[in-house]
Amino acid sequence: MSAHVTELLALAAAGSLGREEARRVEEHVRECAACAAEAAEWRRLAEGLARMPSLRPSRVLVSRTVEAVEERLAERSERAWNRAALGFAVAFAWTMAVVSWLLLDLLTGELALRLDRPVGPTAAWYAAYVIAGWLTAGVAAALLGRRTPEEGRIA
Amino acid sequence: MDPDRDDAARLRRGDTAGLAGLMGRHQDRLFRYLLRLVGDEAVAEDTFQQTWLQVAERIARYDRSRPFAPWLFAVARNLALDHLRRRRPESLDERPEPEAPATPDADPFARAVARQQGARLAEAVAGLAPLDREVLSLRFEEDLALPELAERLAVPLPTAKARLYRALTRLRERLLARAPAEEWR
Repeated sequence: MSAHVTELLALAAAGSLGREEARRVEEHVRECAACAAEAAEWRRLAEGLARMPSLRPSRVLVSRTVEAVEERLAERSERAWNRAALGFAVAFAWTMAVVSWLLLDLLTGELALRLDRPVGPTAAWYAAYVIAGWLTAGVAAALLGRRTPEEGRIA
Repeated sequence: MDPDRDDAARLRRGDTAGLAGLMGRHQDRLFRYLLRLVGDEAVAEDTFQQTWLQVAERIARYDRSRPFAPWLFAVARNLALDHLRRRRPESLDERPEPEAPATPDADPFARAVARQQGARLAEAVAGLAPLDREVLSLRFEEDLALPELAERLAVPLPTAKARLYRALTRLRERLLARAPAEEWR
């Protein structure tokens, strides 16, 4: 009779032996009553594990989860839309600032002159005014847009 | 075409029909796995919800050339292990203290139910360490072969084999300690 294969019986029942090991177990069990009995015990245990009772997620849990995910997706979509809207607003505002400066110059009849001479004090003050306004608006937007990680969390 | 990949693509576009499809196919297996791993229904429910939230958040990171289920279970596993580490930071591989056996004057109906083989086995499994419960669930309930099991656990194949062997022998010891051999056979 070949050597006992006790150490391999658990994994044999779990179908987790290599081909050579499985063959060894099979051959030994055919001629060893003690190992055959133990192999049968392990097989019953493995079968029991495969049939073990288990809970399924309740309908309440599933619907609560779906709602939470939908809410998270809506937040994500809103954030993306907000980012796009902010980008558009910034580009639009800068365009308007430049255009209004040109229009102002045109209306005051100084555009042609300004094209031929360095930037004067009026234009410098105007530019400083626009930059200061944008910096203030940027800081305000950053403060308002700050979100703590907990704010977006869904219970 | 794999329905999981289609639904993952829908979810990536923000379409909740994709979520419904994915949940419909995986929710039972995922919940069973989480329940085995964390060993507590309330925690399993919380982790189940957090898993799907993370899936929705991170669906853009899912590689569509690979199957969806291993990715889903990896997300769930990380969340569950994080929870278990916070709760019992010493070791996930440790067995909790054995519970006291049922007293002889317990409710006869409850005792009769508890004597059912499946229930006793589930009880014994519940008393194992989380990583032992996990490997048994993946092998016998998820029906994963050893190579897939190793991949799911992110360990080399011999390590997965050793974990499975250890979990089985611990389970057997536990069953024998709680009841005479002939009762669970």
